Amino acid sequence: MTSERRRRLRFNHYRLSTKLILTYIVLTVIPMAVLGIFSFIQYKESIEEQIGEYMPRFLRQANANIDNHIADVMAMPKLLLNSENTLAILRKDSYQSQADQNKDQYAVNNYLTRTYLNGSNSDILGVFVLSRNRLFHTSRIPFTGLDWESMLTPYGQDMDLRGKEKIILPSEIKLRFDGDIPYVMIMKQIQDTDNRKDLGTMFIAVQLTFIDRILLDFEQNEDAEIAMVSLKGEVIYHTRHELIGSMDMAVHEYPIWNGSFRESRSEKLISVTESQTFEGILVHSIPLEDLTARTDWTRTLSIMIFSGFVIVTTCLTVVFVLRVMSPIKKLIHLMKEVERGKFQVGLNMQRQDEVGILVRSFNSMIATIRELIEKNYDIKIRQKEAELYALQSQIDPHFMYNTLETISMAAEEGEKEAVVGMVTQLGRMLRFSVGNKSRFVPVREELQHVMDYLTIQKFRFEQRLSFDILEPHDLELYYTPKFIVQPIVENAVKYGLESRDKLIVEILVSRELGLRSGMEDIVIKVRDNGPGIPSRRLLEVEESLRQQTLTGKDSEFGLGNVNTRIVMMHGPHYGMQLHSVEGKGTEVTLRIPMIRLEDVSDLEQD
Amino acid sequence: MTRKTMTMVLMFLLFFVSACYNQKQDRYDVIYRMEPVKASSSSSIEDKEPRPFTIGIVPKVTGIPYFNVVEDGAVEAAKDLNVNVIYDGPLIADAEQQIKVIEDMIKRKVDLLAISANDPKRLVPVLTQAKEQGIRVITWDADTLPEARELFVNMVDPETLGRHLLDTLAWTMGEEGEYAIMTGALSASNLNEWIKWIRYQQTHYYPGMELVEIAATDDNPQQAYEVARELLNKHPDLKGIIGNSSVGPPAAAQVVSETGKKGDIKVVGLSTPNLMKSYLQDGSAQMATLWSPKKLGYLTVVIAKNLLEGNLPVHGQEIENVGSIRFNGDVVIMGEPLDFTRENVSQYDF
Repeated sequence: MTSERRRRLRFNHYRLSTKLILTYIVLTVIPMAVLGIFSFIQYKESIEEQIGEYMPRFLRQANANIDNHIADVMAMPKLLLNSENTLAILRKDSYQSQADQNKDQYAVNNYLTRTYLNGSNSDILGVFVLSRNRLFHTSRIPFTGLDWESMLTPYGQDMDLRGKEKIILPSEIKLRFDGDIPYVMIMKQIQDTDNRKDLGTMFIAVQLTFIDRILLDFEQNEDAEIAMVSLKGEVIYHTRHELIGSMDMAVHEYPIWNGSFRESRSEKLISVTESQTFEGILVHSIPLEDLTARTDWTRTLSIMIFSGFVIVTTCLTVVFVLRVMSPIKKLIHLMKEVERGKFQVGLNMQRQDEVGILVRSFNSMIATIRELIEKNYDIKIRQKEAELYALQSQIDPHFMYNTLETISMAAEEGEKEAVVGMVTQLGRMLRFSVGNKSRFVPVREELQHVMDYLTIQKFRFEQRLSFDILEPHDLELYYTPKFIVQPIVENAVKYGLESRDKLIVEILVSRELGLRSGMEDIVIKVRDNGPGIPSRRLLEVEESLRQQTLTGKDSEFGLGNVNTRIVMMHGPHYGMQLHSVEGKGTEVTLRIPMIRLEDVSDLEQD
Repeated sequence: MTRKTMTMVLMFLLFFVSACYNQKQDRYDVIYRMEPVKASSSSSIEDKEPRPFTIGIVPKVTGIPYFNVVEDGAVEAAKDLNVNVIYDGPLIADAEQQIKVIEDMIKRKVDLLAISANDPKRLVPVLTQAKEQGIRVITWDADTLPEARELFVNMVDPETLGRHLLDTLAWTMGEEGEYAIMTGALSASNLNEWIKWIRYQQTHYYPGMELVEIAATDDNPQQAYEVARELLNKHPDLKGIIGNSSVGPPAAAQVVSETGKKGDIKVVGLSTPNLMKSYLQDGSAQMATLWSPKKLGYLTVVIAKNLLEGNLPVHGQEIENVGSIRFNGDVVIMGEPLDFTRENVSQYDF
């Protein structure tokens, strides 16, 4: 079971094209081959059965014809009784002189020749009459081996045939005709019906060629053989005359004596019928090949056509499978490309079938994805970038107006140094915001910008505002996103001065190990003693920070903007935290990674 | 396509191939079996026969050579055909005696009676009685009235025989002079039939000849001898004698020889070669005519057996050891008469 499961898995792992071709072969080629083989075998068998049924009937007919012929010959001894003279000679017991005997011999031989050899039946080779130690004979062809002593011992006058005929085969006597003409001998006792006595025995040798004539009408196939075989196995007659007289022992093994059967050793169809006259069987055998010669030809042709068909259809199947598979393969390739992020792909396919639909769907899907990305991602980023640029370069016009007014007042009061200082600071601020489009600046510069801002504000609000910036010296090498501290300080000044007479703003920069990032971060804390944020309001603000939404009030917008930018640039581990106690003050903590100069260029590119 | 279906297909193929292969395991694979030809009908009937038929044969008389030879033929046939034959007849050729023999046969429950009738009419009642007991009746040699029997086995055509007998006498007599006929029983129908044709032939062709007497011998050799002597005494100008029953010609020849009229009075007629041989050879008889009584006995038994098996004779039928027969509805004719002369009489053995 495990191996079968493994094999099944293996089949499932085959490539789709292999599966399709295998399936085609299993579903089409094998059933067709099986069907073909099955019907061929059935057809062949039915031909054999037809002939097997027809042949014994024909043999029986042939047998009847042979029997009739033999019966005609068997009736011939009676002709002897028609001659009074011959009858008188045969009745004689003894002779006075040799001359008398020779005269009678001549008379009877003469009668035999006239009656039997010159008669209508040309198959009679010779006639022998044995009567009371006299032999009368006549023959068409010279013969040898006539040995009456041996011939007559079993078949002589002593034997009582009871008027029945008997057939003697050449093997039983030594008589041979010149040219070894095949024959059978018909023996019949001649009875003197008047005296109720035996007159002698008559032997008529019949040439077997008459069987040829009978069989010629039935069978003309050269490979077919017809034989008359005695029950002892002696071949009495054979269409191949040289086999006459030989022995055929296979006869004893034949399963039936009337009917047909296949013989597997020599691949023959053998039909047999019993012959009463010869006490044997008439055997017809024909090679199965001959019967099915035409079928075999058909089979060869069918196999060739079938093979050609299989080859052609297999090729067609392969081509078809490849045609189906090639766009799928291309699709697979393209999907891998898309997986790698290349959306600028497409497959040109004009087909209307499922594969075409698939490809077109794929194309449109890619296009849609591409569109969506453009719409929802790139555009947003650009918008955001534009927004950010606008935001980061923004200097509050109120601030400008107030600063300029302060400068103007200072100028009127003749505070020359203050004017120069403020103008210098304001200029530096403007340059910071306008110049250098880089999104990152050294921490030092950012803090300078904040300090400029606070210094200008201090000119304006004098004693009401005080600030302190604490920075460690080892941060000179590090960078920070631009404009992240100023909006917070602005916020603190704006809200703090609304509710406090004396506002203190502290800025602390330090290095801390970030719990979430697991690395040392730069932490910038802006602390004020402003009104604080009510706790419910604080939750809302924190929520909006987490949502990174840029809506809301200006102040929130400022805070949100800072937080969003940090998160977008450095990930969710960084950003802004708010701590506030209502009435006591607020602390805003900015956490950014340690950014070196070399990191800046990488970050700029994103 | 799962693995299971593939296995099934493979198994099917394997089964298919192995089935083809298995067929070749046996050397012979019978396709068609035909019923053997039935053996000839007679032998099969013989096989079924529970007991052999019993055939009763009744001659006109026993003890004379002619009927003895008939018995030989009948016995030979009985042996060949495997039937029982009871051959019994009266000591004298007399209808009354014969009836007794027939009654005795009926008691012995024979299957068939074959009668050579001494009287065509007087035997009818007893034969009818036999028929009523389920015994079949045929006649041979001498017929009864047709209603008493199924068929009659005749030796020769009576017309042929009667004319031939007179022809032989006319030829030996020189077609002129007185002649007499020695018949058996005056009541025997076959003899009377022949006499009818003898007289017809003589009046038609031989006006110079004259029939002076028809004398009955009753198939008794002794009586025949007496009759012959009487004829010679009564008719001194007698030139020829025809004996139309087998005892007649030997008796006539004997008398002719004894009275020294050898050659003066010609003797012809129906008799057996054995009886006539010496007379033919010494010239006291000129020609004997007969059929083979052996053959007649044989044929009678063959016909009887065929009849018991339900087979009527057929015109031209070839009877084994007999030859072809003629049949015209109720009379079988065995063949042609044989003539025995000084030259050929020794060929015959009956």
